[in-house]
Amino acid sequence: MSEEKNIVSRRSVLKGAAVGGAALAAGSSLSAGTASAATRLKGSTVKWTTRGGGATGDAIAKAVNDAFTKKTGAKVVAQQVNSDDFQNNFAQIMQGSPDDAFGWMAGYRSNHFGERGLLADLTREIGRLKGSLPTAAIKGATSPVSKKPYILPTTYYPWALHYRKSMVKEIGMNPEKIDTWDDFVKLMTLTQKKGLVGYSLGAKGGWEAMGTFDVLNARVNGYKYHIDLLNGRAKWTDARTKETFKYFAELIPFMNANVMDISWDGMRDLLLQKKTGAMLMGSWFANDFKAKSQADYDDLWVVPFPQINPKFGIDTIDAPLDGISVAANGKNVAGGKALAEFWASPEGIAQAVKAGDTNIYVSKSFDTSSYDSFNKQKLAVLAAAKNIMFFLDRDARGDFAGPIVGPAIQNFIKKPSDINKILENVQAQWDALPKN
Amino acid sequence: MKSAATVQKKRSRRSLSKTDRFTLVTFVGIPTLLQIILLWVPAVVTIILSFTYWNGIRLKDIQWAGIQNYKNIFVNNPLFYQALKNNTIWLAFFVLIATPLGILLAYQIDRGIKGHAFYESIYYLPVVLSLAVIGIIWNFMLQPGGFVQGLMGRDIGNAISIWGNPKINTWVILGIASWRHIGYIMLLYLSGLKSVDPALKEAAAIDGATDWEIFRKIILPTMKPVNIIIVVITLIESLRAFDLVYIIYGSPTIFPLLNLLVFQNFAGQGISMKGAAYAVILLLLCIVPIITYLRISFQEDIK
Repeated sequence: MSEEKNIVSRRSVLKGAAVGGAALAAGSSLSAGTASAATRLKGSTVKWTTRGGGATGDAIAKAVNDAFTKKTGAKVVAQQVNSDDFQNNFAQIMQGSPDDAFGWMAGYRSNHFGERGLLADLTREIGRLKGSLPTAAIKGATSPVSKKPYILPTTYYPWALHYRKSMVKEIGMNPEKIDTWDDFVKLMTLTQKKGLVGYSLGAKGGWEAMGTFDVLNARVNGYKYHIDLLNGRAKWTDARTKETFKYFAELIPFMNANVMDISWDGMRDLLLQKKTGAMLMGSWFANDFKAKSQADYDDLWVVPFPQINPKFGIDTIDAPLDGISVAANGKNVAGGKALAEFWASPEGIAQAVKAGDTNIYVSKSFDTSSYDSFNKQKLAVLAAAKNIMFFLDRDARGDFAGPIVGPAIQNFIKKPSDINKILENVQAQWDALPKN
Repeated sequence: MKSAATVQKKRSRRSLSKTDRFTLVTFVGIPTLLQIILLWVPAVVTIILSFTYWNGIRLKDIQWAGIQNYKNIFVNNPLFYQALKNNTIWLAFFVLIATPLGILLAYQIDRGIKGHAFYESIYYLPVVLSLAVIGIIWNFMLQPGGFVQGLMGRDIGNAISIWGNPKINTWVILGIASWRHIGYIMLLYLSGLKSVDPALKEAAAIDGATDWEIFRKIILPTMKPVNIIIVVITLIESLRAFDLVYIIYGSPTIFPLLNLLVFQNFAGQGISMKGAAYAVILLLLCIVPIITYLRISFQEDIK
């Protein structure tokens, strides 16, 4: 395996040099403006990867890519890949012969690879989209290290508290007004009294519970402390971190007994089957409620995670930003950049929405007037926050989040009294990481 | 003396025909070359990488780490000791329970007990399935919302915690792994037993030996080469356990095994050369049985 990597990177070094030259040449043509770039693209082939999404994903890709072909005359060859496989083999794919453009994720996942020369610098493209992209999205897509964007932001979704309105009504509470910690605890207590799960959590995959930690830490210690912690500027052994885990421990008695047995889909099913009071999860699963029945979908509701420390209120939310990246080692980097820009432009977004895309786009051009009440509520939840986190495994480096923080949170849920030892271990493992 | 030996050597080399030489090169040279390229080179590279920091992307980013990766694993990472414990339990369970059971079944079937053909086929059946498929089957049965949970009238909300319950998950997983391992050992042993001369057993029986005495004093010693192979296979199977658990959990953290830790730290997004260090630790743990295995096979060839 290691040998394979060696060969790959040696090859990519050579290839990188060649592509670098090509990109320079292509870049100069692009700077002359989109129109001339379009004429240059005519007749060339651009390769596109759709990351998961099934038939809907393919339909959306086809609609957008066809419109691109119509506009520029460049042919687009698209394929759909398994999202997890693509993600797990990303470094290898990018060092081999990757497709030119693809749907990808902002944060550490694009910055890390961009800074190491695997993703193309999209400064020019993001500059041209400035009119339609909010400043926060541009900032979110830009690497804090190299100050360059390696992704064009398109969609995002909130990680927030989900529950069923009918269940909240049944226990005699107002479903529109779950906004303090006391309301939240009351909701969990009353639901649990009925023999159901108060707060459902799945941690089998090792990443799901990171969402709960993120939001608790942001509520207790604020956005800045959280991001500092994930990047080594604050200590895991700090009393403030321990305070966050105190709140986490308060939630454990309300949780399902089989936290380590289920994953995010198990959490979704618990809510779908009316077995749980509340859960914190990314809103993407709402489509599955709609697929089950319109009544289930109409019953679903989402609110910001309640305030804990009044100093920070509800000013922070996990809202992972997705977008389009361009492979630096692709065969047609100029074409890839043009296609990525088209996907992120108001024109491309209109095509995607027409083809059935239910995601929330960051673009200002995006028309939300036809939104149903759940989607409008998602927007309201996002708007309530001033600071956007991308989720722990995108805000922290890859060799830290998955292998170190994930298991630590699992071990904490299994045995909360071990927290001091667990946090000492996390800090020691952070300290042992190479600087990069 | 020396020159005589050279002459001897030259003569024997000359006596190889063109076809012989071609066969020799094809059958020995190519496998050796492949072995070196695909096994030894990566192994040596892995050992070197285990002393570095690297994220697998650019060669120029490699930094020398000394023994830092190992120190980090041994001192800071609780998962390592959990994995070591799980691998050790796995090994002990296979050596003390699963493998002897397989041998016992083979012995009983070889004796031709009533319905032995039926038993042989049902015990052998799981062996044709890969451990990954076995993982999918049992996960489908036992996970919350799974078939067995459904039979017991439990839905996701009140499903019995099996995979996530440290008190029982080890034994459930070992039970499933043994389900296949027992059949595998049975098959190996059975083929060995078939080659034991029945006259030996008859002679012992006539001399008044009991079944147990025949097994202990006649069969076990005659089966020595097979016994050693079985011991080594049991050792390696226990140490390299991976697929079954990976399919069930998808991540190495709830039921850590050394191989899962290699994978987590060497592939995907969490790549660091800690994975290489885990691989080297695993290699060292495996190398004793592997060397034993090779020596036995070579001795057999010489005989």
